[in-house]
Amino acid sequence: MSESTFMGVERDKIDWKPTLDYTKCDYCMECVKFCPHKVFEVHETEEIKLIVRNPNNCVVFCRACAKTCGPDAITFPDKNATTLRIKEIRKEEENNG
Amino acid sequence: MVEDYAILPCNGLDKCAGVISGELAKKLCEHNKNEIICPVFYRIAETKYNKIASEHPLIVIDGCQTRCASKLAAEKNLKISKKITITEEAKNNHIELKNSLRLQENENALIEIILKGLIKKEEKTTLISDETSFIANFEYEIFKNGKFIFRIPKNSEVYFNENDCWAYVLGNRARIGVTDYVQQSLSDILYFTPPEIGADIEQFDAAGEIESSKSLIDIISPVSGKVISINEVLEQKPELINENPYELGWIAEIELADFESDKELLIGFDKYFEILKKKVEETNA
Repeated sequence: MSESTFMGVERDKIDWKPTLDYTKCDYCMECVKFCPHKVFEVHETEEIKLIVRNPNNCVVFCRACAKTCGPDAITFPDKNATTLRIKEIRKEEENNG
Repeated sequence: MVEDYAILPCNGLDKCAGVISGELAKKLCEHNKNEIICPVFYRIAETKYNKIASEHPLIVIDGCQTRCASKLAAEKNLKISKKITITEEAKNNHIELKNSLRLQENENALIEIILKGLIKKEEKTTLISDETSFIANFEYEIFKNGKFIFRIPKNSEVYFNENDCWAYVLGNRARIGVTDYVQQSLSDILYFTPPEIGADIEQFDAAGEIESSKSLIDIISPVSGKVISINEVLEQKPELINENPYELGWIAEIELADFESDKELLIGFDKYFEILKKKVEETNA
């Protein structure tokens, strides 16, 4: 499912992924059921039962999993900062190449 | 309130927001002849409530983003007329909810605010979109994959973002919407939350939400500017997004703030068509 680029920029260079607040997460796993891109991974037998396994699978600017989170335990980076960074990287790459 | 509604609250008994949803439903029933659908009893005996839901427009009250009431409505194939999420309302009104299962000052204040808002919304004269002034003539290219047919506009005035939303740009205005990829992925769309008229949105901000029984997504605006009009028909007929997400299913109109800058991160038909094909093939691989 992973997109290798987003808006012409290598996905790996774009910081856009969910961050879990384990003090709020109640492991209801709604986000796991919701996300079709396999961003999350369940570790049923471990103390931390849920991790962000594939951050680069996360669709840039999509925050839908946070909307399904009852305890409000999922946050995303600042969208405007991400947009600016994408523009910067595109410029840098244009200048370099 | 003008109409009599069927009201489906989440009524989660172990969470503050759930308790508020139940209380709000009771208060709403003090107006006109609104009727409550009990989510617990609905699961085991649906005949009574199916009748109520078929005879009245439905208000769904979710306590939190787990959206149990919305999911129940989707499961029962009920069309939602209005939707309220208590935790969102609390955030928007800067009210901090305590964790108590007994309603206190803040919780009661929130209920009153929501009630007032609902009544006011009913009484407010509907803003009519100036539809005639925006004439969009779409020309499409078609891509088929199995039983799925995707139409993509190929007009040069149409721009896309990689979040599968489009903007048809005319002068300093743009009409925005989602592409066939979104509506096909979501399947039957049951509810549309429009952006607020007059709101200033940045590029890639959410310009409303759409929800199906499968999923809930933000509409990621390809452009920045002020929301000057919304497609109000979608509030009662969200299925138009499935039928034609470009014409009858458009989302909103935006007075553009800085399209020259927005354009840097948008793509045209050729590029989007390639991306769409790749996504569809990966999804079905």
